[in-house]
Amino acid sequence: MPLLRFLQTPQPDADLTRTYDAIVVGSGAAGGMAAHVLTSKGLEVLMLEAGKKLDLDRELKSMEWPYEHPRRGQMPPGHHALTLNEYTIRQPPYGAGQPYDKVYNYIQGGNGADYSRNFMVDEKDHPYTGTRYAWVRARTLGGKTTIWGRLALRLSDYDFKARRRDGYGEDWPISYKDIAPYYDRVDRYLGISGVAEHLPHLPDSIFQRPTRLTAAEATLRAKMAAMGRTVTPYRAGVTTDGLEHNKYRSRCFGRGACARRPGGCDIHAVFDSPTGLIYPAQDTGRLSLRTNAVVREVLVDERTGKASGVAFLDAETGRAYEARARVVVLAASTLESARIMLLSKSQAHPNGIGNSSGHVGHNFCEHIMGPGVRGLVKDRIGAPRTIDDGRPGGFYVPRFRNLKERRTDFIRGYGFEGSAGNSMFAASDQPGFGADYKKRVRDLSGAYIEMGGFGEVLARYENYVALDPNTTDRWGIPVLRFHYQFGDNEKKMCEDMANTAQEMFEAAGFEIVGVSRTPLTEGWSIHELGTARMGSDRRTSVLNQFQQSHDVKNLFVVDGSSHVSASCQNPTWTIMALAWRSCDYLAEEFRRGRL
Amino acid sequence: MADGDRRDPRLDRRDVLKIAAASAAITSTLGVRRVLSAGQAASPRFFTTSEYSLVDELAEEIIPTDSHSPGARAARVAAYIDGELADAWTAEERNEWRDGLAAIDDLSRRTSGKTFLEATPAERVALLTAIASKEASPESAAEKFFVTLKSRVAFAYYTSEIGIHREMEYQGNVYLQEFVGYDVRTEK
Ligand SMILES: Cc1cc2nc3c(=O)[nH]c(=O)nc-3n(C[C@H](O)[C@H](O)[C@H](O)COP(=O)(O)OP(=O)(O)OC[C@H]3O[C@@H](n4cnc5c(N)ncnc54)[C@H](O)[C@@H]3O)c2cc1C
Ligand code: SF4
Repeated sequence: MPLLRFLQTPQPDADLTRTYDAIVVGSGAAGGMAAHVLTSKGLEVLMLEAGKKLDLDRELKSMEWPYEHPRRGQMPPGHHALTLNEYTIRQPPYGAGQPYDKVYNYIQGGNGADYSRNFMVDEKDHPYTGTRYAWVRARTLGGKTTIWGRLALRLSDYDFKARRRDGYGEDWPISYKDIAPYYDRVDRYLGISGVAEHLPHLPDSIFQRPTRLTAAEATLRAKMAAMGRTVTPYRAGVTTDGLEHNKYRSRCFGRGACARRPGGCDIHAVFDSPTGLIYPAQDTGRLSLRTNAVVREVLVDERTGKASGVAFLDAETGRAYEARARVVVLAASTLESARIMLLSKSQAHPNGIGNSSGHVGHNFCEHIMGPGVRGLVKDRIGAPRTIDDGRPGGFYVPRFRNLKERRTDFIRGYGFEGSAGNSMFAASDQPGFGADYKKRVRDLSGAYIEMGGFGEVLARYENYVALDPNTTDRWGIPVLRFHYQFGDNEKKMCEDMANTAQEMFEAAGFEIVGVSRTPLTEGWSIHELGTARMGSDRRTSVLNQFQQSHDVKNLFVVDGSSHVSASCQNPTWTIMALAWRSCDYLAEEFRRGRL
Repeated sequence: MADGDRRDPRLDRRDVLKIAAASAAITSTLGVRRVLSAGQAASPRFFTTSEYSLVDELAEEIIPTDSHSPGARAARVAAYIDGELADAWTAEERNEWRDGLAAIDDLSRRTSGKTFLEATPAERVALLTAIASKEASPESAAEKFFVTLKSRVAFAYYTSEIGIHREMEYQGNVYLQEFVGYDVRTEK
């Protein structure tokens, strides 16, 4: 029995008879931040979330040992996670025609998937069509922040102003100095762990106590410094020193659950949107929340062309409702927000709300993964056990390509995530059997080091999603059809990624065990971005620099759909910094009666 | 490594209870290792008793008891696999095991004139050595089944209490006061 848990104050029901100041659609990183900023500025907010509110602590069971679970952490019979092979050979919708009760995305194929399955959508209820794409969707209070990988990085002007350097694409309508103060606020409000490295292309955060490197990682760091490359402890969206202002979150105690499984920190040292943003926002008394509320479209006042609220369905009963507000803030995640905009057709906005440019759904970009390396560290073979996984992550190698030098084969860059040492799950993939096999597993298991790259996929108008005219989801809502493929720049970049990964491990003196060179399926990085990009030209962009629709001034879209380019840094910290900045602006415009 | 690393960085149970009281931690999972009912009589749910004995023996051949720690039999690997198969969703998974075990016995009869369990220890090892040599590119039914068998045995063993604690001597999944390892700030 829990000794003591911070119960929330009872919350008011969502009241559909009133007009709220703002409706926020979605409760992930973006929606949570919008709720936090708007309620703290005094607005009365209604948050609508398609998924359920789950008791995260009870779901996650961070410290449970595999043998305490009836299936050693695996999902129940009849629950199936898509495999790489299935993404490659099956035609979407991936759930269709499968013999299983429930079909999930590939993330659920990993260790301990049973602890996160209730967060994730069943592909059978949520189909999509078109080109192959590993689309990972969480529908629960908190969205994907309940299972995210925690790597929390800033972007820099190498990203915001990339066009000035290589002539490709569009620059963002902001520069680093515009967003820096908001990155600072996110750091302070949510907590981030790391080490300052003073790199112009990967700005430092306001870091709490860093995690530590294992022996092999420290070797790599030293060897790479000589090559002018940085190996830094995982910059984790984790509070390692604690947060005085948040009673729902503990500091990190190095239990490693978050790194071992998708979703893992039941003391919430890892940022998740419910404990980091939503519960505190509810404590202001100005946030009403309705879960199981699937928003179908933004409603429009045909007289003014402005947004007047949203139409939604109850996920369980299928019954239709409407909610009213003076401002609508979409934060349903990059692809779902684009879908809602495209679904919101009216006389005033025949191509979907905010889509006079025709760019909604386009310029869709993300990160490419796959290339990486596995090495063996000779002096760790048979070494006494150490605690190497008592931390939220291993190491990060920031981008080093196309900064000073200019490559001729590809533009932009990539970084690596990796780790070395002992973990709960033994590396049992040794050949043979018997006492020799057993000893090899024992001796080698803690001696591996691995890393894999994340590269920027260029934003291209031709890569887009649109509504499928024939397929609907379980609630009868038209689904997305993907028209999306990696291009030549990504393929060249991947070759270089594999080569440099190998080169770095060789330089560090590790024995190369394997090098992977092939990119994984589109979507594998779970960093989809760019379907409603910001810009100063309303003919080629959807939102202005404050994520406000060019067409509809009381419509804001505060998630990753607004990103102009993908950069190679993971997006969540930037999503939250931008959402904070935009909601500050929104609240001020609201106060002045300009929305 | 930093000096600090020689201290035991783990929190003791009293401290952990304090943390639990001061934050939203759940106490029900506080490192209390539940002892599973090891040694209870095997009454298989999917395997026949002779299949069960065969899996139990094969598992122990793959991961035997040695001077370092108990092996697959002590870790009740066969019982775990039996439960998984009894609950398996598709008939293919179950058939793969039923047919695979038969293939091992067939092969054993062809090479030694006896079933795998009747064969001498040396004959068993010879059979397994032959099929394991094709692990990377299995062809025959027995060779293909060996890949499945070994991967499930390894999974069941290395996620068992014996596998994690006694064989691998895994140190983690504990509350740490301080992170352990190389501190980049002091470069030590
Ligand atoms: C396994 C994994 C690892 C990751 N690792 C990292 C990492 O290391 N670093 C990093 O920066 N990022 C990482 N990410 C990505 C990160 O989770 C996302 O960038 C972030 O959650 C995006 O926030 P969001 O608010 O836009 O979307 P989400 O978090 O997905 O939230 C969107 C919410 O909107 C709801 N919604 C959707 N449609 C509707 C609708 N029609 N009506 C109402 N509600 C709706 C959804 O149910 C969901 O709750 C990872 C993601 C995963 C899954
Ligand atoms: S390592 Fe820290 S952040 Fe990760 S699960 Fe443990 S306490 Fe939570």
